[in-house]
Amino acid sequence: MNASRTSGAVPPAASVSETGFDPTLFDRFPTSGERPEGELGELEHVWRAPRGWGLLTVVNNNYVGIFYVGAAFLFFLLAGILALVMRVQLALPLNGVLPQETYNQFFTMHGTVMMFLFAVPAVEALGVLLLPQMLAARDLPFPRLSAYAFWAYLVGGLAFFASIFVGLAPNGGWFMYPPLTSTAYSPGINADFWLLGIGFIEISAIAGAIEIIVGVLKTRAPGMSLDKMPIFAWAMLVFAGMIIIAFPAVIFGTLALELERALNWPFFDPTRGGDPLLWQHLFWFFGHPEVYIIFLPAAGLVSMMVAALSRTPLVGYRLVVLALVATAFISFGVWAHHMFAVGMPRLSVGFFSAASMAVSVPAGIQVFAWIATLSVGRPRYQTPTLFLVGGLVTFVLGGLTGVMVAMVPFDWQVHDSYFIVAHLHYVLIGGMVFPMFAGFYYWTPMMSRRPLSERLGKWVFWLMFAGMQVTFLPMHLTGFMGMPRRVYTYLPGRDWEITNMISTVGAFMLAAGILIFLVDLIRNFRFAAEGNAGNVYGGGTLEWLPTGLYSTRSIPLVTSREPLWDRPGLSREVEEGRYFLPGSATGNRETIITSPLRAEPQYLQIMPGPSVWPLLSAIFTAGFFLLLTVQAYLVGVVSGLVAIWCMIRWLWETDRPVRPPTADIGAGIEVPTYVTGPSTHGWWAMVVLQIVIGMIFLMAAFSYLYLYGVHTSFWTAPPAPSWLALLLPLYGAGMGLAWLARVLLARRRSTLWSPATALLFGAASLLTGFVLDCLSWRWSGLDPEASGQGATVYGLLAIQGFVTGVAVLIALYVAARNSRGLVTRPRNNSFDLAVLFLIYTGAQGVLGAALVRLFPGAV
Amino acid sequence: MRAWLLLLGGMLVWTIHFFVLYGLGSLFGTTPTARIGTLLVTLACLAANLAILVTCMRIARTADRESVLGWPARLGAPVAVLSIVSVAWQAFPALFT
Repeated sequence: MNASRTSGAVPPAASVSETGFDPTLFDRFPTSGERPEGELGELEHVWRAPRGWGLLTVVNNNYVGIFYVGAAFLFFLLAGILALVMRVQLALPLNGVLPQETYNQFFTMHGTVMMFLFAVPAVEALGVLLLPQMLAARDLPFPRLSAYAFWAYLVGGLAFFASIFVGLAPNGGWFMYPPLTSTAYSPGINADFWLLGIGFIEISAIAGAIEIIVGVLKTRAPGMSLDKMPIFAWAMLVFAGMIIIAFPAVIFGTLALELERALNWPFFDPTRGGDPLLWQHLFWFFGHPEVYIIFLPAAGLVSMMVAALSRTPLVGYRLVVLALVATAFISFGVWAHHMFAVGMPRLSVGFFSAASMAVSVPAGIQVFAWIATLSVGRPRYQTPTLFLVGGLVTFVLGGLTGVMVAMVPFDWQVHDSYFIVAHLHYVLIGGMVFPMFAGFYYWTPMMSRRPLSERLGKWVFWLMFAGMQVTFLPMHLTGFMGMPRRVYTYLPGRDWEITNMISTVGAFMLAAGILIFLVDLIRNFRFAAEGNAGNVYGGGTLEWLPTGLYSTRSIPLVTSREPLWDRPGLSREVEEGRYFLPGSATGNRETIITSPLRAEPQYLQIMPGPSVWPLLSAIFTAGFFLLLTVQAYLVGVVSGLVAIWCMIRWLWETDRPVRPPTADIGAGIEVPTYVTGPSTHGWWAMVVLQIVIGMIFLMAAFSYLYLYGVHTSFWTAPPAPSWLALLLPLYGAGMGLAWLARVLLARRRSTLWSPATALLFGAASLLTGFVLDCLSWRWSGLDPEASGQGATVYGLLAIQGFVTGVAVLIALYVAARNSRGLVTRPRNNSFDLAVLFLIYTGAQGVLGAALVRLFPGAV
Repeated sequence: MRAWLLLLGGMLVWTIHFFVLYGLGSLFGTTPTARIGTLLVTLACLAANLAILVTCMRIARTADRESVLGWPARLGAPVAVLSIVSVAWQAFPALFT
C-alpha cells in the first residue's frame, strides 16, 4: 500500500514527487506523545550482535566495518615494513640486505598490497562503517554480502601475503607486464599467485561496490534528496561506479594471462598473433582510474571534515559534486598516458595527453573548494586539520608533477625513473593516506569510548608529514639524475648516494610517526557501538547522532545537508523515537528503502541477521583460488563446489515475505513489507552485477578487435555465418522462455510448476546454444593455442560458458525453491532476478556469437 | 532516468567524443581522415553539449527549488560547460598540431 494513498491526501504536483509519495506527510514529524514501553528494548534485541566465537558470524555494519578497517590497516603496516627494508637496501650503493630476487618480490608485493589490499579495501571499509550512519540507515542493504566481501578479502589477502615467506611471492611488478610474466620468463607459480589472488580479491571489491551503490541510492533517510546527501556518500557512489566499470578490465586481463600461462592460449604472445601491449591497455584501463578510485573517497572524507573542522558548510557543494562526477568520467580517458613510451600513433598520444591535463581541472575545483572553506570558516588546528592541510599541500605537489608527466616529451625523459616514484607517492599519500589518518582521528570518537590523543596526534602528523617530504622530495632529483625504478642496487660514484640516504632517513621518520599512531591506538581506542566518545569535533551530519547496533533509534527526516547544525534538538528527538521506524515494525531487522532521487519512502526491507554462511562461502572461495594456484586442481574444484553450496544455503534463508504485508513506519505512514520489480534493492543489485559482467565481456570483445587490428595475418575464416541461424534462435528462445516464465508466474490459472519449468527450459536452451557455439569453432579447426584469434574467441566462449553455468544454477535454485513452496505468486524477487539473469545471458550469447562470425568475416 | 540524463549528459557526451577520437586515431593514425573525422565529431559533440546546457538552464530557471528535476538541472548545466571545454581541448591535438 502506498504511503500517499494511505494518508488519503491529494498528491501534489508531479514535479515535486518522484514516486507519487505525498511530501506533506513529512509534516507529521517529529511526532509527539509517549512511545510504547519496551519498544527500544525490542529494537536492541533484534539488532544485538553475537558474542564470543559467534562474532565470526556477525553482519552488523559496525562490527564488519571495524574489522574491515583494521584488516586494511594491517596490510598497510605489512606493505610499509616491506618498503622500509627496501629503503635500507637502497640507502647505500651495492648494499647486500636484500638479494635481487627477494628485492623483486618486495617491490612487487609492496605495490600490490598497498593498491589492492590496503587502498581500495580501506576506503570500501570506511564506506561500510560510515555510510549507514551518515545515511541514517539501519544497515547497508546486503549485510551478508558485506560480511562475505570482508572475509573473502581477509582470507585471500593473508594467504596471498604469506607467499612472501616461502619465496613464492610475485616478482614481476604490481603491473605484471608480459612477456616478463609469461611462463618463458616467470616459470614458477609466483606470477600465478598474483593473477589468481588479485582476481579473487577483485571479486570482494566488486561485491562491496554493489553494496555501496545500492546502499547510497536506496537506503537514505527520508527527505535526503541528492542535493542533501553527505559529500562522502556522493564520493562513495562515484567510487563504486568506477569500480564496476574499471575492475572488469583487470579481471579479464588476469584471466587471459592465467589462461596463457596455464593453457598456452597466446593472448600476449606476438609470435602467435597475440600482443603484450594488449595487457598494458587492459591493465591501465583499470590502473589509472584506480588512482581516482582511491583518491575520490578520500576527497569525500576531506570535504566532510574540512567543513566540520572549519565550522562552516562546505563552499561550493554543487561544484564539488560536479568535480567528483567529472573526475570519474575523464579518468577513463587517460589510461594510455602510462604507455607514452611504447610507440602509439602520434594523434592518439595527443588525445591521451590532452585528457591527462583535463582531469586536473575537476581535481583543482575540489582543492579550491577546500581552501575556500578553510578560508571562510574558523578552523581549529587540531590533529585532523593538520592532516587535512598536510595532505592538501602534498597532493597539490603531486598533482603538479602529474601535469608535468602528462606532457609527452617530459614523460619520455623521466619515464621509469625515480621521478615517477616520487610523483605517485605524493599523489597517493597526499590524496589518500593523510586524509585517511585525518579520518582516523576525526571519526574514532564515533566508534570508541575515548578519542585518540591530540598530543600524540600532533607528533604523529609532524613525523609523518616531515618524513613523507624527506623521503620523496629528493626522489625527484634522484630521478632527474637518471636512477631507474625497480633496481635492487646501484654502483657508487653516480651521485645517487646522498639523495638515496636522505630518502631512507625520511622513510624511518614516516615509520616513527606510524609507530606512535599505533601506541595512540593501543592506549585510547576502545571499540564501542554504544556509549562512544561522541561528537568531539562538532560535525553536522547524521553519523554524529547517538547510535546503537541498530544505528539511530529512529530514522530522522532530513531537511538540510547539516541537520545537526540546523536543528539543534534533532539528537534528542531521534533518541526519543520521534521519527521514522522508532521500533521494529515487524519484529525483524529492517530498514526503509527510499527512492534514488528524492529519498521518498517506498517499502520496508527485511534484513538478514548473523549467519555463518558468508564466512564459509568466503573461506571455500578463497580455497578454490589458492588451491588452483598451487596446482591442486581436484581439491580446488571440490572447494569451489562447497563454496557454491554455502552460497545457496546463505541465499535459501532470504527472500521470505513477512506478515503483515504493510507496516507503519511512523506517524501512521504505511509502506509494504515485500515489493518486487525495478524499484527493489535486489533488482538494482542485479542490474549492477550485469554491468560488471557486461564490462568483462566488452573487454574480451575489445581484445578480439585489438588483436585483429595488430596481427591480421594470423586470422583464419570463422565458421559459416549460417551457424547464426541456429545459435541466435536458441539464445533467443532462452530469453523468451525466461520472459514467459515471468508471465506464467503472474497468471492465476497456470499451475505452480509451469513457471519453473519454463525457466528450466530457458536455461536448457541457453546451454544448448552455448555448447553448439563451442562445437562450431572446434569443427572449424580453430585451436585456442594456435593464435590470438583462437585465444580471444575461446576467451569469449569461456565467459559465455561461465555466465551460462551460473544461469543454469540459478534456474535450478529457483526450481528448488519452487518445489519447497518458497516462490510466492503472483510476483517473487528470486524469480524476477533469475529471469533477469537468463535474459542477460541470452543477450550476451547473441552479441558474442554475432561478433566473432560477422567481424571480420562479413566485412 | 531524465534526471540522471540531465545530470550526467555532459559527461556522457565527453565519453562518446573521447572514445570516437581514440577509435579514429587507432584506425587512421595521423592522417587527414582522422583530423577531419575529429573535427566533425567535435562539432557534433559541442552541439549536443549546447543542447544539454540550454535544456538544463531552462529547467533550472523554471523549476521549483524542491522539484525532482531542479537540482539535477542546476548541476547538469555546469557539467555541460565543463564538457564543452573538455571536448574542445580534447580536439586540439588533431586540429592544431
